[in-house]
Amino acid sequence: MPRKVAVIGCGMSKFGRRDDKDLMGLLVEASTASLADANVGRKDIDAIYVSSMLSGELSHQTATASALADELSLLPAAADRIENGPASGGSAVKNAYAAVASGLYDTVLVTGGEKMRHVAGATVTDLLATMTHPTAEYMQGATLPSLAAMFTRLYMQRYGVEPRHLALIAIKNHKNALKNPYAHIHREITLEGIYSKPEAELNNPVVSDPLRLYYCCPITDGAASIVITSAENARKFSDAPVMIAGIGQATDTLAVHHREDPTVLKAVQISSQRAFDMAKSKPKDIDVAELHDAFEILEIAESEDAGFFEKGTAHKAVEKGMTALDGDLPINPSGGLKARGHPVGATGVAQIVELTWQLRGDAGERQVSGAEQGYSCNFGGFGNNVLSFVLKRGD
Amino acid sequence: MGVKCKSCGRVFYPKRSTCLGCRSQDVEEVELGDRCRLVTYTELYAIPIGVHKIPLVLGIVEFDNGARATGQIEADHVKIGMQLKPVWGPLRTIGRMEVFGFKFTQP
Amino acid sequence: MSVDWDVPRKPYPAKVLTLATGEKMVVREASREEVPQLLQAIRPLLDAPSEFYDLVAARTFAELLGWYRYRVRNEYCLVGVVDGKLVGLVNNRMFNKDLCISLHTIAIRRGRSIGAHLFAAKQEHAIEYLGAEEIFVTAESPRGFDRWMIEWSLEPRPDVQHELGGAKAWVLTRENYYKNKHRQVFGDRPVTEDLYKQSLHFEVIEPDILRGESD
Repeated sequence: MPRKVAVIGCGMSKFGRRDDKDLMGLLVEASTASLADANVGRKDIDAIYVSSMLSGELSHQTATASALADELSLLPAAADRIENGPASGGSAVKNAYAAVASGLYDTVLVTGGEKMRHVAGATVTDLLATMTHPTAEYMQGATLPSLAAMFTRLYMQRYGVEPRHLALIAIKNHKNALKNPYAHIHREITLEGIYSKPEAELNNPVVSDPLRLYYCCPITDGAASIVITSAENARKFSDAPVMIAGIGQATDTLAVHHREDPTVLKAVQISSQRAFDMAKSKPKDIDVAELHDAFEILEIAESEDAGFFEKGTAHKAVEKGMTALDGDLPINPSGGLKARGHPVGATGVAQIVELTWQLRGDAGERQVSGAEQGYSCNFGGFGNNVLSFVLKRGD
Repeated sequence: MGVKCKSCGRVFYPKRSTCLGCRSQDVEEVELGDRCRLVTYTELYAIPIGVHKIPLVLGIVEFDNGARATGQIEADHVKIGMQLKPVWGPLRTIGRMEVFGFKFTQP
Repeated sequence: MSVDWDVPRKPYPAKVLTLATGEKMVVREASREEVPQLLQAIRPLLDAPSEFYDLVAARTFAELLGWYRYRVRNEYCLVGVVDGKLVGLVNNRMFNKDLCISLHTIAIRRGRSIGAHLFAAKQEHAIEYLGAEEIFVTAESPRGFDRWMIEWSLEPRPDVQHELGGAKAWVLTRENYYKNKHRQVFGDRPVTEDLYKQSLHFEVIEPDILRGESD
């Protein structure tokens, strides 16, 4: 009988351009915060999972988990590095969950991090492009933004989504991030400035038509961390632990063009369904969601395919303000990938950190009042490997 | 050249060993022909290292037999639904290697 | 005192632009009298090697000081002001009545396309108000310049050395200016009296590049 698993500690580094620390420094910053928050001793950590997609390529370090175990003096804990592109964080949380649920380990640290700002943007873009289909996509010169752009164009044609909706989401996420001290971007943007005035042409230049600068997330340095243990154990550390109630993962075709309907994110649909089934919840039970808006179109598409809105209607909900902090279903109260930032290996863990804070009532000015259940979606590749999570307040 | 699944009839490009539709391993090579239409496209301004034209126009095309491909589009007035045909040519460099493949132009 | 305008001087009518942040930037011509403040704004950049800010600052400092001391002819400077603070400046020089030499672009506040807007404003001034037929452009830093080359359809002029260190000169022709204007040159005129007044006695602020990149 698998054990239930709870989050007893969480923490993150400040996200942004962190010239002050190397990758290990960022992993330590986040891990130290979550260990302190969990109030566990270092000798009590049985295993660590570290998620980082490009630690080898960009920081010349591949044994990242072994190194962190050493740096934090957690030896002789078990240590694994997890790599699943932008879903590395989610995969690390899933693996850690399975280890605790099975009884293999009791108390596990999960830390995800990435250092990416110290190299040229074109280099990072190229490394990220390696997650596309090598012969069908990468060889043609396709990059993630170009795949997202083709997806966006088709979505717009089919469902009537307009660039204005992408702008509204970016504006909302920037606004939320102003209340998140850890977020990368602390800058308000306006519809006039990025969309309606003619000068938006220069303020918000085209990256890959129809995606513009402000409809794509930034490149960010940072790390996020959680400590999990069995639910029974958790009562020693916290009166109201946050339960990881549901996990789902699914894969879809590697090449975007192989999908029967390229506007449907099947992996989001299936992974969400699995997570909700496991948690015995439904989308309408969710009070707050952290979605993977590497490109703002994904906040729309994921919210539909996860079951929160009918396919092709989320953009209307955005217009009505339903996904704002004070709306019916606040999405990305942290600022999302757009404004909290997207250190690739950290994101999946950072989403769990934000949900944990929200469900504990610790989210400060961006607190969604009365949040009891949260959902997160960590999107790997361009939708070919997705993890969904449902978290609940413990009682 | 793509592959066709002998069990369910779906056609895929590039070649692969199993069918994404019914999971069968019974696939055979087929010619895709030279008529396809544009499903979606983009003009990429943030061009990757190894590509030298800006913008790089990329698109997803669909052949009559249902197979789809992603590739560079070389045409004036690119529109969803337009007719295209595959041509062989240089695509980009990867490191110092020149890479060739199919791109799509007006018939 | 020697004359610093032997190509007839044509003023630049101020305009106002909205930045991504919603902030309003007034773009107006700076007067010779304002040079000491401009030098004060640029001086800290002499210690910023990143992206050639130090070299750009050093050269711009010399150009503006030269103008101030009547040792440079036909020089113009446009400034960008947001909330009464100087956020950027650009300068150029009319070589003769047909040829403008684009000199420098300095973004004091970054991350808001200020440099791009001011660069465009200076070309607008040269072509539409000063009557130049051609503008010679070059840059110390490849960042931004590669984009400008494409966005403005700059043509290489291999037989000419730009006065900035003999670098390769690229040319913006009147024809290409008008071809690209709709995607590069923006702003509303006239500027309201309040906004204009606020832009007059600007405050000098610490350049973003020295505070560590803000993002």
